Amino acid sequence: MPITCPFRRLFRICLLAAAASLAGSAMAAPGERLDDRYCTTCHGADGRGNEAVQAPKLAGMASWYLRLQLENYRAGIRGAHPGDIEGLAMQPMAAGLTDESIEDILDWIGGWKVIPATPTISGDVAAGAALYRTCATCHGAAAEGSEALGAPALAGQNDWYMVTQLENFLAGARGAHPEDIRGAQMRTMTAVLGGEQDIRDVVAYINSLTARMVE
Amino acid sequence: MIRNPFCDLQPMKAEPARPVSRREFLHLLAATGGAGAVVKASAALGLLPASAEASTLQLAPGNGRSALILGGGLSGLTVAHELAKTGWDCTILEASQRCGGRIFTVRHGTLIDELGNRQVCDFDDAPHLYFNAGAARIPSTHRTLLNYCKELEVELEIFVNENKSCWVQDDAMLGGRPVRNAEYTTHMRGFLAELMAKAMTETDMDEPFTDSEAETLLGMIRSFGNLDEEHVYRGSFRAGHASGGYLDDGVQKDIIALRDLLKTRLGMGLLRASEGETGPILLQARGGMDRIVDGFLRQIGDRVRYRAMVASIDVRDDGVEVACDHDGSRRQFRADYCFNCIPTHLVTGLDHNFPADYVEALGYVRRGAAYKAAFQARERFWEQQDIYGGITWMTNPSRQIWYPIAGIHQRKGVILGAYDYINGMHHTSMTQQQRVEAHLADGEKVHPGYRELVERPVTVAWHRMNHMLGCSARWPRDSGGWSQAEQARYRLLQAPLNGRHYMIGDQISMHSAWMESALLSAHWALNDLDLRLRNSPA
Ligand SMILES: Cc1cc2nc3c(=O)[nH]c(=O)nc-3n(C[C@H](O)[C@H](O)[C@H](O)COP(=O)(O)OP(=O)(O)OC[C@H]3O[C@@H](n4cnc5c(N)ncnc54)[C@H](O)[C@@H]3O)c2cc1C
Ligand code: HEC
Ligand code: HEC
Repeated sequence: MPITCPFRRLFRICLLAAAASLAGSAMAAPGERLDDRYCTTCHGADGRGNEAVQAPKLAGMASWYLRLQLENYRAGIRGAHPGDIEGLAMQPMAAGLTDESIEDILDWIGGWKVIPATPTISGDVAAGAALYRTCATCHGAAAEGSEALGAPALAGQNDWYMVTQLENFLAGARGAHPEDIRGAQMRTMTAVLGGEQDIRDVVAYINSLTARMVE
Repeated sequence: MIRNPFCDLQPMKAEPARPVSRREFLHLLAATGGAGAVVKASAALGLLPASAEASTLQLAPGNGRSALILGGGLSGLTVAHELAKTGWDCTILEASQRCGGRIFTVRHGTLIDELGNRQVCDFDDAPHLYFNAGAARIPSTHRTLLNYCKELEVELEIFVNENKSCWVQDDAMLGGRPVRNAEYTTHMRGFLAELMAKAMTETDMDEPFTDSEAETLLGMIRSFGNLDEEHVYRGSFRAGHASGGYLDDGVQKDIIALRDLLKTRLGMGLLRASEGETGPILLQARGGMDRIVDGFLRQIGDRVRYRAMVASIDVRDDGVEVACDHDGSRRQFRADYCFNCIPTHLVTGLDHNFPADYVEALGYVRRGAAYKAAFQARERFWEQQDIYGGITWMTNPSRQIWYPIAGIHQRKGVILGAYDYINGMHHTSMTQQQRVEAHLADGEKVHPGYRELVERPVTVAWHRMNHMLGCSARWPRDSGGWSQAEQARYRLLQAPLNGRHYMIGDQISMHSAWMESALLSAHWALNDLDLRLRNSPA
């Protein structure tokens, strides 16, 4: 039975405004249908996340948060630090998006089936729970996120991705850009994390919140 | 050592140091010198798959059975073609706007769907102005592929890989002045031969040669390096003439000092060109490698659904259910069997019901990051330098310049301006503008005026190509080769899941990055299924 999702289709030939300045390079082909909905190649079907390309789950994430991240990537506020290997892979994907295109994409993402991520990392959940008390202030007791505080939901997110982010915040590869206000807030919070083991423990605890979400 | 099949001239790691006994001296000289073709034959044997008969199929009639083929790569096209021939009902679901995957020829108007860097090629519209951004060479030992080219009437022509008239350039050698491949290799062989001749005459052998053996061997060494009677290398016309040679006395080019030649490591690759997988004659499809794809599509065209991106795979006892996104809606397909050539690292991002070990194996395979770029040349300036086809080697990041065989003596031509198969991320992580500037600057070192001679750049970073995100599967993680655990994962993925779902493509072979491997993987799967069907009651 065909299941039809009523996507708003938005075809754009946004191509190559930038490339046109090169030695006569590449112009848009007439009739080639192109849009910016190429996210699922990396982020997986329905944005479920794909560890093999290190692209996290997008399905189920709040629009306000996704919008901010896409704007940050586009402006080079996120994904520009040489230590942010995966962010550097994502940054060019957002560099050419227009506001209109971002809204179209958020619309599209809103229609995706949400499948909470499967855990891949284990740690000391009790120790993680203790650490998470600080985090709960902003991310919420169930890690459901808070728009008012700018903190995204963490429950349901890929654990390997959260580990990368915490490592990057700690190392200053994320949240160090002078215009990254929210990232800077989060970065200071990593002070409570002593190192790799703490990161695993707190992420293991978040996994347990994900499990509750599934129930 | 794992040989990267993309490349014949990849710089080799130096042989590990070990104590040298006198009897090993000659061996060692030969081995380190790159004259070691013979010495290393046994090692090479393990790396070069046996040249076999072309694999052919005798499949039982399909009797209306159905198959879904996920991905229109070469292996998927092959399965569709073979099954269609025997009366199967088959459908290819292909995510992009074209079939062929890594067989990708770029010409006038071609969309290069590199994520974050889409381009449309604006080469002039002419048959010889094309660029094989993926597969480009067919060794004459790849019999299964050649068989299909014959069957599908794909016209072939010779591809020139090694060309001694091309250049060798290293900033560290001779102040960056390019030298002809012939100059470099002739001189280097001369010096190597001197060393070998010396070793032969001065070393006591544990197993001495007979006089006649010694004479033969010495003769070969002299001929190898063009030594004189005293076993000394005094230059050679093989390096080219400085002047004259036809109507006037030929004048030899000056010898380049050994010390200068040793300033570059390119020689390691140069001296073993035309060996291994590029030893056989190489061929290409006339007009572009995608003529092979066209050949398959002539047989199976209407069975392909384009822009049909697989989103989920549900393997059941009685068949396979697949959902794909097509024209803004999600559609469900079902079939008795399924053949899947979607890259493993993308399959892991789909919704599926695969068991954990299968998913682990899919996720284990890593992806390569080969990178290529090309220019249209306003004039075929290389032909003015005696260059018709072949490869110039550079140590700078653009690494290679390939000169086309297509369109000899026409006004324009398309040259490959960069090919990095190992460290492709170097250019991948640049903007288009930075990439092009890098290739212009690198090319300028070999061809003064390059910047003005070339135009209309295109770049292809396979790590970012839509629906591919990699140039080929990288299985072994250790330079020593495949571990047992890796082989077990490979066999797990090769076997049909639940008897219904086959992973295929060169990724399911021990010799990735060759079209032949993709074909053999498809044939393996078809034969396996055929056997199962013959052995099971209808
Ligand atoms: C730079 C480079 C140089 C090469 N040089 C040579 C050479 O000289 N000689 C040689 O023999 N070989 C060469 N190869 C290797 C050769 O191109 C491959 O071995 C061969 O083309 C692989 O075919 P495949 O069947 O594995 O499919 P692929 O080409 O991997 O195709 C996979 C297909 O799956 C599709 N797909 C992906 N995701 C989805 C989805 N969700 N739903 C539906 N479809 C999807 C893709 O669009 C693609 O069409 C080279 C490759 C590269 C990249
Ligand atoms: C080439 C692969 C690739 C493509 C294509 C891609 N992404 Fe990403 N994306 C990534 C990777 C990898 C990360 C993880 C970065 C990190 O770990 O810091 C990421 C991260 C993100 C994030 C941050 C998530 C978070 O929780 O903060 C967002 C949002 C995002 N991508 C949205 C998109 C959208 C929308 C598109 C399509 C327009 C897209 N991506 C296309 C690879 C990709
Ligand atoms: C002061 C509020 C605050 C506290 C406390 C806090 N965070 Fe955050 N966190 C944020 C904000 C804001 C962001 C989003 C940053 C941005 O917009 O780039 C964030 C982002 C993150 C992310 C990245 C999510 C993603 O999708 O990319 C992770 C992981 C994270 N926080 C984990 C934690 C953990 C673990 C703790 C406790 C140790 C914690 N946070 C404490 C505010 C906070």
